[in-house]
Amino acid sequence: MIVATAIAVAILFGAGAYLLLKRDLIRVVVGVVLMSNAINLFIVSASLRRGRAPIYPLPPDARVADPLVQAMTLTAIVITFGVSALLLSMVYRVYTSHLSLDLDDLAAAEERAAAADDREAIAQAYAREAAERDRLEVG
Amino acid sequence: MPGGATNLLAALLALAVAGPTLVAFVARWRVSFAPLLATAVAALTFVLSLALWLAGGAALDAPWAPSLGVRLAFRFDGLAALYAMLASGIGALTIAYATRYIPDHLRHQHRPPRAGAIFWPLMTGFMGAMIWLAAAQDLLLLFVCWDATAIASYFLIGFDRERGVAQRAALMALLITGVSAICFLVGALMVRAATGTLDVTLAAERIEPGAFSTVAVALIAVAALAKSAQVPLHFWLPRAMAAPTPVSAYLHSAAMVAAGVYLLARIYPLFLAAPAVQGALVVVGFASMAVGSVLALGSDEFKRLLAYSTIAQYGYVVVMLGLGGAAGLAGAAFYVVAHAIAKSGLFLTAGVVTEATGETRISKVGGLGRPLWLLAAASGLCAAALAALPPTVGFFKDELFFKTALTGGSLTTALALAGAMCTFAYTARFWIGIFLGPRRARPIAWTSSVLVAPIVVLGVLALVGGVVFGPLRSLAEAAGAVSAGEPTPIALGYHLDARPENLLALATWIGGAVLAVGVMRGSAAIGAFGAALGQFGPERAYDAALSGINALSDAIHDFEVRDLRSRIATILLPAGVLVLLNFWVTPNQGAFDPGRILWSDVPLLLILAVAAAAAVATAVPRDHLSMALLLSGVGYSLTVVYALISAPDVALVSVLIETLFALLFLGILGALPRSLLQRLAMQISTSERKRRDAIVAAITGLAAFTVCWGVLSKPAPLETAAAAQIALTPSAHAKDIVTAILADFRGLDTMGEISVLGVAALGLIALLGRRDAR
Repeated sequence: MIVATAIAVAILFGAGAYLLLKRDLIRVVVGVVLMSNAINLFIVSASLRRGRAPIYPLPPDARVADPLVQAMTLTAIVITFGVSALLLSMVYRVYTSHLSLDLDDLAAAEERAAAADDREAIAQAYAREAAERDRLEVG
Repeated sequence: MPGGATNLLAALLALAVAGPTLVAFVARWRVSFAPLLATAVAALTFVLSLALWLAGGAALDAPWAPSLGVRLAFRFDGLAALYAMLASGIGALTIAYATRYIPDHLRHQHRPPRAGAIFWPLMTGFMGAMIWLAAAQDLLLLFVCWDATAIASYFLIGFDRERGVAQRAALMALLITGVSAICFLVGALMVRAATGTLDVTLAAERIEPGAFSTVAVALIAVAALAKSAQVPLHFWLPRAMAAPTPVSAYLHSAAMVAAGVYLLARIYPLFLAAPAVQGALVVVGFASMAVGSVLALGSDEFKRLLAYSTIAQYGYVVVMLGLGGAAGLAGAAFYVVAHAIAKSGLFLTAGVVTEATGETRISKVGGLGRPLWLLAAASGLCAAALAALPPTVGFFKDELFFKTALTGGSLTTALALAGAMCTFAYTARFWIGIFLGPRRARPIAWTSSVLVAPIVVLGVLALVGGVVFGPLRSLAEAAGAVSAGEPTPIALGYHLDARPENLLALATWIGGAVLAVGVMRGSAAIGAFGAALGQFGPERAYDAALSGINALSDAIHDFEVRDLRSRIATILLPAGVLVLLNFWVTPNQGAFDPGRILWSDVPLLLILAVAAAAAVATAVPRDHLSMALLLSGVGYSLTVVYALISAPDVALVSVLIETLFALLFLGILGALPRSLLQRLAMQISTSERKRRDAIVAAITGLAAFTVCWGVLSKPAPLETAAAAQIALTPSAHAKDIVTAILADFRGLDTMGEISVLGVAALGLIALLGRRDAR
């Protein structure tokens, strides 16, 4: 059972990693969700102590599934939801500001912006230098 | 051990940390108060060290990381006393010198006085690190102090921030001593693997000769030799002369380079298990003597000449440690002190001459003996000590050196004589070139008694040490005894007879004088030879390695910043490869347990298979709606898994979350225009790109598999924290244990989790609420 769980975790994780490398931002988010699912499965199966559900009334000396690991998984699932919801809304926001969700388009836009910044910085440097020269000449 | 001495040691170690901290705060508050305070701290450290030595030493031992067997173990033995007094004594003198030198230096460089604020805590901090290093008994503790000295040295060499030369020199010193320090760490851990302890004394008792021990000791020796600027890792030291003169006088003649031979002396008992390494020390020492001497003979710059000379002098010490014996071990300790007094005095002299004339070369000055008579006399004593003239302390350092060399046979004796002649020649050239002959430099700008006084103290010490040599002898004997593990008596004294040491000394003076005359005639030729040597030296290899690493780093960086995908790939791929490499190289017999599959597990297996299939299907390119549904499929299958492994709470939450997420996902897909989604879905990646992605994903998955399998194979602990929580739940008036944990036992965690959700919800509102496109 151990190796079967490990294989399942690995497949989920690998599929997530594959999607993470896509150009489509929506698929990237799906990749993150898949990886998180793999990790949740990993945490919950780390208990290894199989037994009754940890809910009273319990018969004396019963084998009880590890409640601590379950509590942690529960927390992890909720946090995962918060993170992936935020990611999805960020994807939407990227669409509204760039009208594209293609990473190549976004990278090109970023480069254009950086080039514009550079041009501005160079222009400012020239202006500063000219001002300095004027000041010295006046002085 | 008396209690008073232990308290004294605790005070000394505390001062080593508290002093620099106090100086740092005061320097921030009023930079003009820092120099005097730093001098006072250094002087107090010296007094404490001296008092502790007179009290007979002490030991302190406290656990640091008990699970790793690392201890804060200190013992103030003879070796510790010698190096602690060396570091604090020379430190106090050079810091006192710097109180005048640094403000003037900053003024010459057109920098504000505030820029000096960093100098004082660094100098005292370096001294503190040396104190800790000198007393440390634990190899890991030694390593930490070792690196602390390297870091202080980096900032001190690069003190003149605006000068590129200083920056490059600082980086070179840090890389050479820092990378070799990694060798020290590896060697220390190998010693621990071989002996089960990090304590130097215990390790020496337990270590067995063999290839493993030899490699371990050799690695530690590499670090020590690099720190002492020995061939072929010597080239950082001449570059480090870009530092202000007090730094050169302190770190790069007396303290930091001494740390290297200190380490060799400290781990000396380990050499019994690695005689080959000890033999190699002799070769390295003589090579350093040769290279350092030739380059020193040919250099024209004061500080450079002195730096090359330092390489050669530490070569002497390494040879003495390599040959061993009573004269060798106690002599090495004696030599380090005598050399430190003489050499730091000469460095400080170079600083005064440069400040007074603005010149840095011997050929540009001369005849300064008349106007600067006090300086000339004081530095003359230091030079006499370096050249081993009686009645200075230097005479004995060479006597001990010759005594040791004689035990090694005729070849070592001949080489020792040649080295001593060169030392005599370049020392003579340094002193005569500055103070005698025609005056070439422009008139003297100024001199300050604060700058000359420390040199006078050092010169007097060199002279007194040659007459009243008892205290230094007993200190050196105690230091040698720590290395040897038995008493190392050395007999010192002036004898007017034809014993071999005396004959060798006489030959040194005559040969050295002849050599000095020859060198002063033809120094240009030797200088050219030295420059040619530098062209093909190990510095070339360093430069090539540095630019190669730089180019590799640039290439990786350029790939990484191209876009999000390459950024992710540069994280996933190395992480996966490292995990798999680790799996491959570590012994894992029985570490992986396939586990048993019972009939009752079949439903679980089936549903895991469904989840995996859905995950694979999600990754296959198709339209976004099916992808969203398949993703939900993965989530709901996992919900069933949670239900099957008796985790009903997790399963219930998972159903809720999966439903909410599916709705949100579909909602966002609905808000995006259909044309955009179609365009994204129609994207066709090249097959090469797909293959590359698949390889990265496969490596990542494999790494996840090995980690997961390895962790799950660990046998479950019989008693877990959960048992207590199961027992406590009824008293929390709950029936569901998971609920009790979330709401009660770990309620604070849950509050944090809810805050995360709250922040995410705020983010959602902010991001989705605004409809304005650009």
